[in-house]
Amino acid sequence: MAGSSEAEKPFDIVATYNDLLRTDPDLTMPIAAIEALVLLLTHSPSSTISETLDLLEKSTAHLKNSIPNPIGLSAGTDLFQRYLITTLQRPGQLGPAGDFNAIRAHLLSNGRLFVRRAKESRDKIAAFGRGFVRDGSTILTNGGSRVVASLLHKAAAEKGGLSAVRFRVIYVLSSAKGDVENPSAEPEGMETVRMLRESGVPVATIPPSAVAYSIGKADTVIVGAEGVVENGGIVSRMGTYQIGLLAKAMGKPFYVVAESHKFVRVYPLGQYDLPIEQRVIEFRTQEDIAEAEKQRLAAKSSDVPAKPSSEYDCEVVDYTPPHLISALITDSGVLTPSAVSEELIKIWF
Amino acid sequence: MSAPADKKPAADPAAEKVSGAELKKKAKAEKAARRARERADREATGGTPGPKDGAGKKGAGAGGAAGGKDAGAGGQKGQRQQQRRGSTQGGPEAKKRPVENKNVAVFGHLYGQPRRTSVAGAGKEVHPAVLALGLQMRDYVVCGSSARCVATLLAFKRVIEAYTTPLGTSLSRHLTTHLSHQISYLSTCRPLSISQGNAIRALKLEIASIDPSVPEAEAKAALSEFIDSFIREKITVADQVIAGSAAQKIQDGDVIVTYAGSSLVKQTLLAAAREGKRFRVSVIDSRPLFEGKHMARALVAAGLDVQYTLVHGISHAIKDATKVFLGAHAMTSNGRLYSRVGTALVAMSAKERAGGVEVPVIVCCETVKFTDRVALDSIVVNELADADELVEVQAPQQLTGLPDPAAAAAAAAAAEQETKKGGKANQTAHSAQSAATEFPSNASPLANWKETPNLQLLNIMYDVTPAQYVDMVVTEMGSLPPSAVPVVHRMSTNM
Repeated sequence: MAGSSEAEKPFDIVATYNDLLRTDPDLTMPIAAIEALVLLLTHSPSSTISETLDLLEKSTAHLKNSIPNPIGLSAGTDLFQRYLITTLQRPGQLGPAGDFNAIRAHLLSNGRLFVRRAKESRDKIAAFGRGFVRDGSTILTNGGSRVVASLLHKAAAEKGGLSAVRFRVIYVLSSAKGDVENPSAEPEGMETVRMLRESGVPVATIPPSAVAYSIGKADTVIVGAEGVVENGGIVSRMGTYQIGLLAKAMGKPFYVVAESHKFVRVYPLGQYDLPIEQRVIEFRTQEDIAEAEKQRLAAKSSDVPAKPSSEYDCEVVDYTPPHLISALITDSGVLTPSAVSEELIKIWF
Repeated sequence: MSAPADKKPAADPAAEKVSGAELKKKAKAEKAARRARERADREATGGTPGPKDGAGKKGAGAGGAAGGKDAGAGGQKGQRQQQRRGSTQGGPEAKKRPVENKNVAVFGHLYGQPRRTSVAGAGKEVHPAVLALGLQMRDYVVCGSSARCVATLLAFKRVIEAYTTPLGTSLSRHLTTHLSHQISYLSTCRPLSISQGNAIRALKLEIASIDPSVPEAEAKAALSEFIDSFIREKITVADQVIAGSAAQKIQDGDVIVTYAGSSLVKQTLLAAAREGKRFRVSVIDSRPLFEGKHMARALVAAGLDVQYTLVHGISHAIKDATKVFLGAHAMTSNGRLYSRVGTALVAMSAKERAGGVEVPVIVCCETVKFTDRVALDSIVVNELADADELVEVQAPQQLTGLPDPAAAAAAAAAAEQETKKGGKANQTAHSAQSAATEFPSNASPLANWKETPNLQLLNIMYDVTPAQYVDMVVTEMGSLPPSAVPVVHRMSTNM
């Protein structure tokens, strides 16, 4: 036992996290983070509480630093850390006075339970949200959110499978042109579109530029979220904010579907106050472009893989303020944006 | 010189007469209340000895206080009735007499007893530290919600230290009544702030929870300890936490607008400056307290770029603002901000700034300032200060334009001499004199507002900012949207 833990000492949390995300397409970022942290605890040889907490803190910081957009991830790591601390503070066998090995075993088993529950929450949300997809309605949605997909799928199955088609979907697909490496790549969300079409739901796909044109035909807007922030706003795939603004202007209800483990303790004051660095607006002159091209060629010749603007389109996010959101459909019920802070306070105090 | 001097005595005795009469009336009422209490005391001690004694005394004390209040209200009512009679009787001549109601009708319910002007008539139970604090709060020497809360708690600590439980009562029962005297004295100096109210409630709860069997010295030490830790937890450390987290919201190149003199906002800005952030601050201030001056001075001393404007320059100051930081007197349960009058104007101008991105409005507020009350407007609950504060203003040094009062006096004297000589000279003298009375260069044009018919001055202290104009409330328990105020209030009072 000691030998094996010695051998696996250079446990790479970042690689584990990325592996988890790659191998299980159903996994969300916060859950992957929690699972990675649980794995870390199984591999770690730490034997005291403070050591464990210290290790956890260091690895979390390391993980956050090495991921371009750590907002979704930090929801998971914060939650796990909070959960750990409350467990350790509780009196009794598992409290600070108890046997540390018992505490650790308990943590690990509970951590796994947490991961399983989080995966199940998607079904719960689908059950809550089914009522929002009405007969004969048209839903406008975007991005590649798995929760939205499962919600729509459930709604389609509910309405009698292939035969009875009772709702339509307008799917906003962002073009895949940002990906320089393989320009023929499928835009995010195409899989959901196929799945819906297979189950008999008519789907129209539109580019983001046609949202204002098409939103008049939609009855409801349903979007996913990467993180739900403290004031009830959401951090989501780039383009969600403009859909929210348009929905508000047109008087269409704008629903957000998100698991409650995506609630994150961030309080952005606006688009440019997110705790991540995004290169969306870049002012350049012809000279700058020529310079960048030269550098890129130089990098190519020296065999260093360079990814100039491929970061754009697939990773960037924007912030939708709470006043644009009609309701959040979560696994703890349908919440108004102002109820989010209440939920968060409940978790944290 | 003669003209303004003539006017002033006419104004002053009237004011003095009113306040003198009122004082006398109040003193009388208090004396009656005290006598009644003493009588009740005597009866209680004579009738039933032993533990019931304390209860009797307590009841009598409360009754006495209530009686005093009643008497005060009665006196006022009488006065008001007189005034009404005066106005119905009088035609145009009655208006000239200083009986016109100078209260602004909409805020009529806020004119309670006028603030105490001296320690005369204060009960003998009131501790000297509290006596002094009351006057300091009245004169705005101790000003600001947190400062008043801390000062009150510290004064009460001294009260508790000097307190000995009377024979036959227990500390947990009698000390609360003893403190009530101090509290009612303080509230006659200036209405208590929400934070003071919350702190007092916590202290009373702590006193009531003391086991009567605990020795007095021990109980007093425990209470002192409680007060210290309350100040530390709820205000000192909370302020540090808030300043630290609010400073994170300041970025290089920001232009911060702030209003009046919140100590917490000052701490926040100083914390951000210590972190080496480069930003500008625009302090907006208003009459009559000019609290922003202290803020501006402190920020300048810390090496920040500061612009100081009065509130009429708000649209100019808000033009290049990127964030607004506001202090709070209280946050109500419907998420509204109750703060120094003018705050709502600043918040609203920031939100409704034409042709620009929205400017986030950030409120820094300790949870001790949260209240379960609900404020729909700033009329129902507010505080009125003495309207004369608006009048007293230092005239700027004048170089041109207005006649020198000394010269006017000389001219008047010369004219008087010349009156015998002819009508023309008389006229010029009159014009000179009237010019001198119209613009007395060292007195405010409002100086005799009490004699001016149909003129009422309103010196309101607070206003209410609707929740939709506030983006974020930074508290020691984290940053919240204003809608989360009741949740946090519930949690922080349950703990």
